[in-house]
Amino acid sequence: MINIQNLHFSYRKKPIFKGLSLQLQPGHIYGLLGKNGTGKSTLLRNIAGLLFPDKGKVEVLGFVPGLRQPAFLQQVFLVPEEFYLPDVPLQHLVDHHAPFYPLFDRKRFEKYVTEFDIPLDGTLQKMSYGQKKKVLISFGLASNASMLLMDEPTNGLDIMSKSQFRKVMAAELNDQKCIVISTHQVKDLENLIDRVTIIDEGKILFDQTVDTIGKKLSFRISFDADEVKQSLYSESSLRGNAIISRNTDGEESKLDLELLYKAIIVNGPLVQSVFTA
Amino acid sequence: MNQSFDFGRWWLLVKKHWYENQRKYTLSLVAIAGLLLAWFTFIMVLNPYEPIDPGMQFGTYYFGLFIVGCLFASLLFADLSSTSKGINYLSMPASHLEKLLCALLYSVVVFFVVYSAIFYLVELPMIKISNAIAHTHWSKLMYKSGNFHEAEVINVFVMPNRPAGVPNIFFYFLMTYFAIQAAFILGSVYFRKFNFIKTVISLILACAFLAFLVGQLFHSLMPSGNYYHGITSYSFFTNDDYENGKIVQLPEWIDGVLKLFIMYTFAPIFWVTTYFRLKEKEI
Repeated sequence: MINIQNLHFSYRKKPIFKGLSLQLQPGHIYGLLGKNGTGKSTLLRNIAGLLFPDKGKVEVLGFVPGLRQPAFLQQVFLVPEEFYLPDVPLQHLVDHHAPFYPLFDRKRFEKYVTEFDIPLDGTLQKMSYGQKKKVLISFGLASNASMLLMDEPTNGLDIMSKSQFRKVMAAELNDQKCIVISTHQVKDLENLIDRVTIIDEGKILFDQTVDTIGKKLSFRISFDADEVKQSLYSESSLRGNAIISRNTDGEESKLDLELLYKAIIVNGPLVQSVFTA
Repeated sequence: MNQSFDFGRWWLLVKKHWYENQRKYTLSLVAIAGLLLAWFTFIMVLNPYEPIDPGMQFGTYYFGLFIVGCLFASLLFADLSSTSKGINYLSMPASHLEKLLCALLYSVVVFFVVYSAIFYLVELPMIKISNAIAHTHWSKLMYKSGNFHEAEVINVFVMPNRPAGVPNIFFYFLMTYFAIQAAFILGSVYFRKFNFIKTVISLILACAFLAFLVGQLFHSLMPSGNYYHGITSYSFFTNDDYENGKIVQLPEWIDGVLKLFIMYTFAPIFWVTTYFRLKEKEI
């Protein structure tokens, strides 16, 4: 679905990617994690055809994104971190934007908007940032685009809306769709994504499915000093020491995405060695 | 589905543009009408003895057309100056050609028609009022004697009382406007910030360069003399004989082709350049 080979990209003289390669398949929700300024948004914009690679190949659904052909744009929907919606009534937005997406489902849009507690007869001009974002997410989902790209989608959402967001997203996935969610708020993606891709300084530091992570790593609280010492990563907390260790007993533990992220950033090669062994 | 141009998709874009901008456009039109009204009133107050003459009508129409038309053109792709709006614009499932043609429809066709309509809508009653005021003042001044000539509403596209053989300069003005406006449309895509000012500076630099090219470079290559009746005939002097110059005349069709090129091709060249710039725009 997405095939990125040897991507080189730079902003003027500041290089962002130097030979990044990545393949994303339909039927998955990918979590693209990384610090601010590591190239997450740049990668999404390259996929959406808003930025063009300096070198290398980006292919999405068989299209070259940079050509921005209407058939491509109908199938790829980007929810950017900085987004814009015109100051028009919600119904006008649907009436005049939806026809550009042939598979747009108005009923589903109204369902999502209602689930997000947005009045259907409301006007975007009077909505808060969070409400507008929920409208945009609902629109993107209802567009039935095969590729949904979301850049920090939970920024500006309240606690209830974040929970609603996870619920809606999980229900949305099917075999034809690929959803990529970029965020640095890793907690928001727990129980939602099925593949973790960590990007740092323009490189893929870690790229594994949640299933594989569960089989290879164990996340738990430990009070045993030896166990903490031998762990791949540990950090003290009020409840004891949160650790990541090799999963030797085959029992799957609950993935702590934040802990995994820190472990990869701090102790990447050691954690990676578990997957390559 | 055609990926370059589909009439249905283009029409959707045209409708969407109108619904999103109708309030802004309506207010702008009211503002233009208000400014014209204020200007004509100012002229009448300044000189109540004379009605608004054709020169003033012509000047007002073209000054407004150039200023407002170029300002509007420079705002045409203003969305591309903002990251959020630019993403929304470029991600809209329509081709670059459809987006450009939609922008051209509003800036070149709709603006021109509506501006002209508003100009006449304001001008017609203002000329009548101006005639009435001028007549009253004239009568008082001349003690109801002398000849008072009422002003008439002129056709701003046709030069009045044009002698046979003299070209219609008003039409040249119109063509120049479309060419300059097209440059501002390109500027609105090309420059991310301060595109109006940057386009003005670019045009001045381009004109200065052309003047240098013709005035200095070409002049130094040509023998001593001057262009004579256009740029395809050149009058020059030989052996310091300043009384008996010779004229070199290129074939007449070259003159025609050059005129056509200068009048009709600048605007399309800028539009085509805008299309390619839009295609390569990154946000």
